[in-house]
Amino acid sequence: MKTKLSLLALCIAGFSCTSAMAATDPAQLEQAIAKQEAELNKLKHDLAELAAQQKMQLKQQEEQAEVVATARKELTESKWNKFSFKSYGSMTYTSDEYYQNVQDTSPERRGRFDLERIVTEFGYQFNDEWDMEVEIEYEHGGTGTALEYDGFDEFGEFETEVEAGGEVMIEKAELRYRPSDEFGVKFGNIHLPIGLSSILHKPDQYLTVLRHRSEAAMLPAVWNEMGVGIFGEMANFHYQAQVVSGLNSEYFRTYDWIASGHQKRFESVNADDLAYALRLDYGNFKKGSAVGVAYYYGNTTGNRHKSNKVSGDGTVSILAISGAFVQGPWILRGQYLNGTLSDADGITQANKTTPGLKPGNFAQVGSESEAFFVEAGVDLSHFTSIPVTVFANIDYSNPLADVDTGTASKRYENTWTSIGINYFPIAEIVIKAEAGRQQVAVSSIPDTNFFALGVGYQFSL
Amino acid sequence: MKQLKYSAVAIALISTLAACGGSGSDDTTPPPTDDKFEFAATEMITNLTDDVIISGYSTLAIKGEEMFLASQTLVANKTQANLLAAQEAWKAARQPWEQGESHIFGPVDSLGIDPHLDSWPLNTTDLKTVLTNNSGFSADTIKGWNDDVQGFHTMEYLLFGDGVADNQKDVADLSMSEAEYLMGLSEVFRDYTKTLDDSWLISHDGQTGKAYGELVKNPGTADNTFYASQVGVIQELVNGMIGIVDEVGNGKIADPFGTSAATADTSKVESQYSWNSLTDFSDNIIGVRNVYQGELTGASDKQGIIDFVKAGDEALALRVSSEIDDAIIKIQAIKGSNNMPFRQAIADAEGRGRIQTAVDALSKLQASLESDVVPLLNKWKV
Repeated sequence: MKTKLSLLALCIAGFSCTSAMAATDPAQLEQAIAKQEAELNKLKHDLAELAAQQKMQLKQQEEQAEVVATARKELTESKWNKFSFKSYGSMTYTSDEYYQNVQDTSPERRGRFDLERIVTEFGYQFNDEWDMEVEIEYEHGGTGTALEYDGFDEFGEFETEVEAGGEVMIEKAELRYRPSDEFGVKFGNIHLPIGLSSILHKPDQYLTVLRHRSEAAMLPAVWNEMGVGIFGEMANFHYQAQVVSGLNSEYFRTYDWIASGHQKRFESVNADDLAYALRLDYGNFKKGSAVGVAYYYGNTTGNRHKSNKVSGDGTVSILAISGAFVQGPWILRGQYLNGTLSDADGITQANKTTPGLKPGNFAQVGSESEAFFVEAGVDLSHFTSIPVTVFANIDYSNPLADVDTGTASKRYENTWTSIGINYFPIAEIVIKAEAGRQQVAVSSIPDTNFFALGVGYQFSL
Repeated sequence: MKQLKYSAVAIALISTLAACGGSGSDDTTPPPTDDKFEFAATEMITNLTDDVIISGYSTLAIKGEEMFLASQTLVANKTQANLLAAQEAWKAARQPWEQGESHIFGPVDSLGIDPHLDSWPLNTTDLKTVLTNNSGFSADTIKGWNDDVQGFHTMEYLLFGDGVADNQKDVADLSMSEAEYLMGLSEVFRDYTKTLDDSWLISHDGQTGKAYGELVKNPGTADNTFYASQVGVIQELVNGMIGIVDEVGNGKIADPFGTSAATADTSKVESQYSWNSLTDFSDNIIGVRNVYQGELTGASDKQGIIDFVKAGDEALALRVSSEIDDAIIKIQAIKGSNNMPFRQAIADAEGRGRIQTAVDALSKLQASLESDVVPLLNKWKV
């Protein structure tokens, strides 16, 4: 383009030169004029051609811009853009000592591999306010059994079906409406904010190889229920309040208190007794430092399949106090849980005498339960080039802290102390090792040592 | 492409259905009728229900009551004679219970009575805590505790001691709290044995349901959701026999027996405190004989499973009969000439030889029941 314009300028310049010299001979002049006319015509023609070319280029540019705009528009409107996918998982190897039976006091060692869990999380943002999230968890490699209560068979029977539920399950399926940071509503199958594992359950969010054992011996792990909740944040305060399906006391057991009363074993959830959960945090546990308090309250008798076996409500109340300090290389997290259960004796008695329920030796349920953990770590990458965090941990749980009558056995009072490391070869992967000691609060049962290795990942698209 | 896939799926479905249809029709094709036999089972079922099962449970309930009385007497008057009497009462209750393990179906299972009465092993650690921290044990309180600190074996431990060196206990070694706990335990024990007896005689669920005995005796009636036919009842009885033969041979004996004297594990021996193990085991198989013969040992001949087997295969009936007797004899022979208890025999070279002989006899019996007696159910012309 530029060269053509220069050429034109040169021609014009040349033309003016020749005309200045050419006034002497008319024939020559005529010839020169004719020549100049011819040249002028040629120039006119060139100019027209140039204009046409410019016009076409402009048109092409416009077309191109249009294509880009359309692509941009399509991109922002794309459904894929509103879709999110996350996944996390872990595999562990543990070497524990165990006892053959309740009389045995010489433990045997057993190594175990476990494809602990693979979790996939699908999200979709319908618009600025509405979104949904579905979390599917495959535990221990998948498949499992579901329990069914068949009220028409004989005099009502519990039946186990190797068919559905169990170890492949929907851990979360919620719809959220969030018009502002201060207020949001979620409903469906939602996580209860009781227990830090519900908030910090990805492998890089806790230091131990297995999730905290203290919590698992008292509460459903990553507790989810059907219900509705409100949530939001104001000036670094985070709140949650929920109304959710309650527990079923038919499955309360000595060794994990109310944890197995979580109705995930059934195809449908009995919802005659609802429960209420509240949580208030200052700070954000997922992002770092925070302190928080949570409370759960709910009756359980109404959710029994044989609801006439217990006369009281079987009220469960749980108080959870938690804190985290994460600053520079320092990590310190802890939680204290205290729970009470009313009518514990009635529930024990009913579970022992409900045909087919078979709690065996684990019918006795604590009227009080207690657990805590503290984990502390130092991220060495702040001091060296190695992305390693070293940690120490203590877990304590006593699901049978107190009973309505008689003396509570101390057999279920456990303390785990351990030290270990977390190594992050890349940010999304963590390799863990932990060694520790388990103490049962019965003097005749010897302490045992355990060792655990684990690898975990997490990513989001 | 899509159509091709659909066709492939359709073909797969059709062939699967066809395969199912094929195998289904095979099942319904009646086998040749000439090898079928006839047998009228009503009398046998009635007899087994009343004279073997219910009679056994009634005896257990009576022995349970006697055990409770013996422990009351012991608490009131702690003498060696009263301790011995309580030990005998325990053994007397043990007999009908162990014999009854050959038919451990129905309420004993559905009401969860088995673990309440016979949980094993005993949780001695918790038991010691219970004894240290409590006194004046009421039956209601004990019922709320876990099964591993109550039932037969807890009473056994309190009555006979730890069983390591001997099965004699000096009454001076029986503390007052042990005696009181024993009394509370035997009251709970008595209540459960009565519940079990009532469930067969009065109501299977302790509420409005029919007596379980009536349900067994009257299969196929409209309101009987337990047994649709006599075949089902006989199957339940035969499977009960197989179950206990398997448990004695492959569980109760084999678990503590191990692969060698070095791997033998006394802690797994049932009734190790009283040294009653061999009596337990032989009573288990005597229970099998009761169901098979149709009468308790020494009673006059009545119809039992043997009569059903005889109708189908006379030689088999006699063979099973002698295999049952042989297994009982071989179990009893484990004690040898010097009356060696089972917990000692598993660590003794000759004892181990005798145990192996008994296990072999039990395996032989189990094989006959599983592969020869069970198939007769298909040949029975109902």
